[in-house]
Amino acid sequence: MARIRHIVFGVMLIASLSVISEDSVVFTETELGFIQSHGPWPPVFEGDSSNRLSGDPRAIVYGARLFSDLRLSRDGSISCATCHVPENNFVDGLSLGKGIEDGVRNTTTTSNLAFNRWFGWGGDADSLWMQNIRPIVSRAEMDGVQAVRNLHESDLEFGGWFMELQGEAVQQSSDEEMLVLVGKAMAAFLETQITGVTSFDRFRIALLSGDQRQMQRYPISAQRGLKLFSGRGQCSVCHFGPNFTNGEFAETGISYFTSKDVDNGRFSGIENVKTSPLSLLGKYNDKPQSGNADKTRFLRKRHDSFGQFRIPGLRSVAETGPYMHNGSLETLHDVVGHYSHIDLDRLHTDGQSILKPLNLNTTEIDDLVSFLKSLSDDN
Amino acid sequence: MTDGKQVRNSAYKHLVLIIVGTLLWWADGLAQAQHNFPGLVDAHIHYSHDAWERTPPQKAISLLRKAGLRKAFVSSSSDQGTQKLYALDPALIVPVLRPYRKRGELGSWMYDETVPGMLKSLLASNYYAGIGEFHAFGDDIDLPVLRAVIDLALEYRIFLHAHSDSDAVENIFSYNPKAVVLWAHSGFENSSEVDRMLSLYPNLWADLAFRFEHERDGRVTSEWRRLFVKYPDRFLLGTDTYTPERWYYVIENADSARVWLQDLPSEVAHNIAWKNAERLMESLGK
Repeated sequence: MARIRHIVFGVMLIASLSVISEDSVVFTETELGFIQSHGPWPPVFEGDSSNRLSGDPRAIVYGARLFSDLRLSRDGSISCATCHVPENNFVDGLSLGKGIEDGVRNTTTTSNLAFNRWFGWGGDADSLWMQNIRPIVSRAEMDGVQAVRNLHESDLEFGGWFMELQGEAVQQSSDEEMLVLVGKAMAAFLETQITGVTSFDRFRIALLSGDQRQMQRYPISAQRGLKLFSGRGQCSVCHFGPNFTNGEFAETGISYFTSKDVDNGRFSGIENVKTSPLSLLGKYNDKPQSGNADKTRFLRKRHDSFGQFRIPGLRSVAETGPYMHNGSLETLHDVVGHYSHIDLDRLHTDGQSILKPLNLNTTEIDDLVSFLKSLSDDN
Repeated sequence: MTDGKQVRNSAYKHLVLIIVGTLLWWADGLAQAQHNFPGLVDAHIHYSHDAWERTPPQKAISLLRKAGLRKAFVSSSSDQGTQKLYALDPALIVPVLRPYRKRGELGSWMYDETVPGMLKSLLASNYYAGIGEFHAFGDDIDLPVLRAVIDLALEYRIFLHAHSDSDAVENIFSYNPKAVVLWAHSGFENSSEVDRMLSLYPNLWADLAFRFEHERDGRVTSEWRRLFVKYPDRFLLGTDTYTPERWYYVIENADSARVWLQDLPSEVAHNIAWKNAERLMESLGK
């Protein structure tokens, strides 16, 4: 197997070396390995085994309607789409989200959630459907448990969908059962929100197959940025795979003070997911025998969980600012600048040794930003 | 009342009972732990300039008290932070002198030949129990600045709080076997290496800051249990507030320690909880 891998890399290396010119960049074997891992896009999504509604066309329609309905919030002022604006790559463009009250975290895009392992900046949920319930219940966000019940009791169309998918009327369901169904239906909808193929994906295919003509369509600046991303910058170690995330959590030297105290991120996230009856360890997991709850079962808090936040995927990243868990970095230039001059004193010396100050020059910062911009669907 | 509402109310009652039961169980366990270990010593706290900007001294002291600490070994970059806390609560704070004037010097301080002079001046005017936490690895100990720091610690009969690998600690004792070292994070070494080091060097003490291998879900792992029992008077607790935000972790860490300490023989647990820190101080005449 290792031999085959070496042969493949060898072919890739020869393919890339054969096109050395001022319009192309030469990648090392390690860099090519990372680049190969960033595709194909989109990966095959086999459905969420914990959600019996995953892939169900009726649930997708119902979930889409729920996602955009203001009547899910206590005062009828907020829907999921209020913060996750479909016309704006499913973000609100604010530093901190704003529900019924002001939030303490940046709103993330709801694109490509089908491929997530954990959900929310702190990983408070271990399934997409569990995550969908959180803002409805949260007093600061939608505070909408009674509102969801009212919606299904008063609107025949919603009541009908509920009846059809739950097998009983909302009046016969507990709040928890009702919320689980709503969460699962919205998850079925959100699983369909996958971003498109990008100029990076076309370059990747061309690079791996030695298609020089196609390779040269990818801007040289983005190529240099990709080399930094997958090489010296070591960005690909955490931003790994087709969705540019390893799905886990990291401390990246960003302050996590809030106006009151601190947002300890993953530390509380682990506690929440381990104690919630809505996690995959609970009775609402539709296929526990598949082992889909193992990731939660073996989860435990560590000292370094305190202040860690989820490593986000980077597809469409140019359209989803501001950045970081608290929206403290306005632009991609700010983000690259942060990593370029990262304060090592903020990272434990035996912790994130991947992160080191890169001291990038202006051109290199521009190159990295150019590469990141190429992760957006250019159609 | 409809059937649906009855089902809902019944489910609610069950949920409330489960939540209340869980809370009572958890509170009882924590209360028991706090009863057993009312006053811990945290041997690894920093209060550098960015910490005192965000968490003023009064608030910092209240967090330490809330964590139920009887003593906190505090160092800071610069030393001002330590002095601010010591002035406010000398019964709680054990000052330790950090050789850094500001953040960002942990990889360069050993080449700064003005450091020994700065330390000498502060040692002459303030009370300290140790010098550290400093970062030094391997042959760094052979550098003139490190040698001077070790000499100062011996002159003032105080310990060295060393964030170091085994090689560096061995180099310290090779330079002067009379040095007393508090080994930060137990060197992040595995249990067998910690065992080897403690058996070789009687003046070596080890803090458990930022270590998690020794416990799992409140139970002490077998290899570390053997180590704690074999060296009942050498381990200390610690948090390591290496960012200002981690001041809010001191309480969590203390609560967590109280739980796993209960899994050890009582005498060993009390030693790690606070007695070993007192012994370290006493051994130096503090």
